[in-house]
Amino acid sequence: MTTDAFTDRLSEYLDDELSAEERREVSNHLAVCESCRGTLEELRQVVSRAAALTDSAPMRDLWSGVVARIAPSRQWRERVSPFRRAISSRLSFTLPQLAAAGLTLMVLSGGLVWMARSGNPNADFQAVSAEPDPDLTTIPANFADRHFDEAIADLQRALDAERTKLDPETVRVLEQNLAAIDVAIEQSRRALQADPSNVYLNTHLAAERQRKLVLLRRVTALAMTGS
Amino acid sequence: MEALALRCAPVLSPAKMTDDVALAASGDVSAFERVYQAHLPRVHSLVRRMTGGRDADEVTQDVFVRVWQKLGSFRGDAAFSTWLHRLAVNVVIERFRAETTRRRRLREGDDIFNSIAAPVRSRALSMDFETALATLPEGAREVFVLHDVEGYKHHEIASLLEISAGTSKAQLHRARMMLRRQLGHGRSGYDD
Repeated sequence: MTTDAFTDRLSEYLDDELSAEERREVSNHLAVCESCRGTLEELRQVVSRAAALTDSAPMRDLWSGVVARIAPSRQWRERVSPFRRAISSRLSFTLPQLAAAGLTLMVLSGGLVWMARSGNPNADFQAVSAEPDPDLTTIPANFADRHFDEAIADLQRALDAERTKLDPETVRVLEQNLAAIDVAIEQSRRALQADPSNVYLNTHLAAERQRKLVLLRRVTALAMTGS
Repeated sequence: MEALALRCAPVLSPAKMTDDVALAASGDVSAFERVYQAHLPRVHSLVRRMTGGRDADEVTQDVFVRVWQKLGSFRGDAAFSTWLHRLAVNVVIERFRAETTRRRRLREGDDIFNSIAAPVRSRALSMDFETALATLPEGAREVFVLHDVEGYKHHEIASLLEISAGTSKAQLHRARMMLRRQLGHGRSGYDD
């Protein structure tokens, strides 16, 4: 057997995967070949370093992307199914509730953004410091999140195709709610252009985008399953 | 596979983790988030190493979406971390299988391996191990990560990757020899 042939067996030798006879041959060769002994030691170091690797978390948040894909799929179906059993194929929301939710959302979103921007001393939450925290690394908001825009566009198309299955009044209130969310998103974006590292504003923008995604998914699912 | 479970170091206590897995299986998103947080570093590191860093975040998300979908089939007869780990490996492999060139690379043995364009290498005499790992050719990297980092046996790797055990051994040795050179040791005939 040539030295190259022995070298090719060194990993199996290291992993104790050779037959007894093969192992004896390689051992005998190692006893007289300094080069192969050196290679074996280096391979042992590679294996040792691989086993000592430590795990690390990703640099960016991945949970929001996960929850956007899983939450509507199970929780919403379970929550909605009893409701759907009680209604006819013509779907309808409780209008006073939706209208109230829309109004509340609009007031809250606008108010919270205003408070965050103005630093109102009467606000009942801890204002985010304007001074950068050296221990805190903030990733500026991504204003052009392609995945989000694509998901919204897909849902909007699906909803448009199924829109006739929804009660017209429901559609009207739905559009009011979506408009309110869009206003909140726009306000957050504008505020973030002036203060891209503001933690509260980044969180608020992400929450509003998530709210829009969830609302569209829920209504689209209802419209599609209502046929 | 027991070694795999031991290498996982969940933030939560085993009892708490079991509770959260059960809650998550019943549809509790908050419990699932705790499971996710406990296992994220482990899963992301596995995905990152197997993919060489390419789309690692996206694949990691795919893994946890799949975990959520499959939680109902987890019966507790293996450690959850082991079950999760195997599922993550399968998601990564499925991803690879979508790339048609990969099948040729893995099935046609060393000749085809040697024809693969060599990855860009650092000229530094010594480089970070993770970086060196990412520069390995795809087939060699997968086998190396599964065997030397994750503790799989050659027959398990052969089954997962749909290759022979002999090809798995050859790929492992090739990967080790390349890493040996990347890390500043001697010259190898495997990477020229």
